[in-house]
Amino acid sequence: MIWLTWRQHRKQAFYTLVALVAMAAVFIPTGLAMHHTFTSSGLAACLAKLGTAAVVPDANTCDSLSQQFANQYSGMTFIGILFVILPVFVGIFFGAPLVAREIEHGTHRLVWTQGVSRRHWALVKFGLVGTVVLVLAVVYALGMTWWFTPLVQNGGGRMGDISFDVQGVVPVAYTLFAVAAGMFAGALFKRVLPAMGVTLAAYVVVRVVIEAVARPRYMSPLTASIPIDSSSQFNQWSGAWVYSQGVVNGKGTPVLQNGNVSCGSAPAGSARAAAGGGGGCGQALLQQGLGPGPFANAYRYQPSSRFWEFQGIETGIFIALTALLVFLTVRRVRQIS
Amino acid sequence: MTDTAIQTDGLGKRYGRTWALSDCSLDLPAGKIAALVGPNGAGKTTLLHLAVGLLKPDAGTVRIFGRSPRDDVDALADIGFVAQDTPLYRDFTAADLITMGGKLNRRWDAAFARTRLADLNIPLDRAAGKLSGGQRAQVALALALAKHPRVLLLDEPIAALDPLARREFMQTLMGALGDGETTILLSSHLLADLERACDYLIVLQTAHVQLAGDVEQLLSEHRTLIGPRIDADAEIPGVAAVIRASYTDRQSTVLARLDAPIDPTVWTSHEISLEDLVLAYLAAAERRVAARPAPPSQPSDSTRQVSA
Repeated sequence: MIWLTWRQHRKQAFYTLVALVAMAAVFIPTGLAMHHTFTSSGLAACLAKLGTAAVVPDANTCDSLSQQFANQYSGMTFIGILFVILPVFVGIFFGAPLVAREIEHGTHRLVWTQGVSRRHWALVKFGLVGTVVLVLAVVYALGMTWWFTPLVQNGGGRMGDISFDVQGVVPVAYTLFAVAAGMFAGALFKRVLPAMGVTLAAYVVVRVVIEAVARPRYMSPLTASIPIDSSSQFNQWSGAWVYSQGVVNGKGTPVLQNGNVSCGSAPAGSARAAAGGGGGCGQALLQQGLGPGPFANAYRYQPSSRFWEFQGIETGIFIALTALLVFLTVRRVRQIS
Repeated sequence: MTDTAIQTDGLGKRYGRTWALSDCSLDLPAGKIAALVGPNGAGKTTLLHLAVGLLKPDAGTVRIFGRSPRDDVDALADIGFVAQDTPLYRDFTAADLITMGGKLNRRWDAAFARTRLADLNIPLDRAAGKLSGGQRAQVALALALAKHPRVLLLDEPIAALDPLARREFMQTLMGALGDGETTILLSSHLLADLERACDYLIVLQTAHVQLAGDVEQLLSEHRTLIGPRIDADAEIPGVAAVIRASYTDRQSTVLARLDAPIDPTVWTSHEISLEDLVLAYLAAAERRVAARPAPPSQPSDSTRQVSA
């Protein structure tokens, strides 16, 4: 069975390797260049000094360096999108034809009437293809994690939508899930093209639902509250995933959504300080009847330190789905008439 | 003693609401070379696929030497199967396919397969997709034979071949299995392809077995009788069943299955060819189907002409 699986898929494996090498030829030089600029410009050191605390005294120290880096490399971010869809391509081209092509060509009548059970056939085939896909996914997940780091640190942080999806271990889980979905669709529809289409649709739906509905609920978000007259600022470089921000009044009632108000700190003893609750801008809010003070900028967010917890939970979900699909596929293969 | 190689009991397979095979009960003795004959769509492929475990029965059972073939590795070891259109992995060479068989079967005679293909001048190093239809069929047959199966089933193995390749294929098939150890069941919609080779006959039409039995016995118990004009429903002593009858003003021609001697003073009895026998049974089955939905109207029976 192992020999047969290898003999059937060696051409595919070869082309995949070629594609991988071609990708490496693009990504290694650009990655090295980005890492070099990131370090040599002092941006890396600046961001490291700023730290990942949610609230810092001054969050704007790295802005000019960051802008400079972004001007040079922000186009690269779009390459990240390629890696968001890469797993489903693996599912479409590795998973969907696995059972469907046999049936389409009638070769299942040849191979299932030899001396091995369908269960054995399916397990060895899925196991080997799965292992190769696993290795492939680990390689591109590691590579992408490395390549993307400067852009991620300079951008929305690794909890952000695209960067979370292409870094760490979740790309591996997505890829295995896509392949399992492809195999199951192939066993269900027995035709390669419909199986490919269904794989694409199913992958997109599951990913979107989990990302939009489940992921924000993995852990309850933290909150940060910064008085509007504080000199401290929310650290946009902390890599946190901000759910919401707004201004709350002294009772904690939100009075302004998706914005913040900041007056800077009032010198001690000044009229503004005496007015309490933030002086100037606080006064404006009070006059609008949004009181009582003191007002604060409130943030609900997931800190970037939870990256691996989130990765672990999401990976667990997709691995569980993968296992379920493999089980269903093997069962289906044994039932196919 | 003779074993039963293939035994089916009330076997049926349904696709949606249509039965592709229904109430099929057969006992194919070991060592027979059986022809499974019937028009396209009669259920031949369904029966063969049930017998090799590719399909799961919706009714009844099928056993190969007492074993259900469905996903049973021990039963599969006894079965050689050449599917319709002889599917092979197109990018595999014949040598690859022989290697594959070796990996997938406990009993495997690679040398036998290689020698056969070499004798037939089929290149071992060419991709199966680039072989001719006849060569592919030979490769598929070699693969099935290399298992040294106790039962060999072939689904329309020669339908796609030209006449020369047909003859070659049948010759190699019979040459390889002249020992009488292997039971063979091969299907065709053309009896002529199989007539010379087979000693057992199964006629399948409209999802039902119309006729099954040893060829010699079938031929000996069927006769064309020619005699005086009789009523269509009159009983003839010695006739168990009338398969086909046609009448002129003064004469009756009856193809009948006999279970006792006929009165030779009334009837002249003629032997019948296997082909005529099969055609008569197929026509009878067709008439029954045609008669079923429509209200009973007689003329179709008596207007059929028989060539004397």
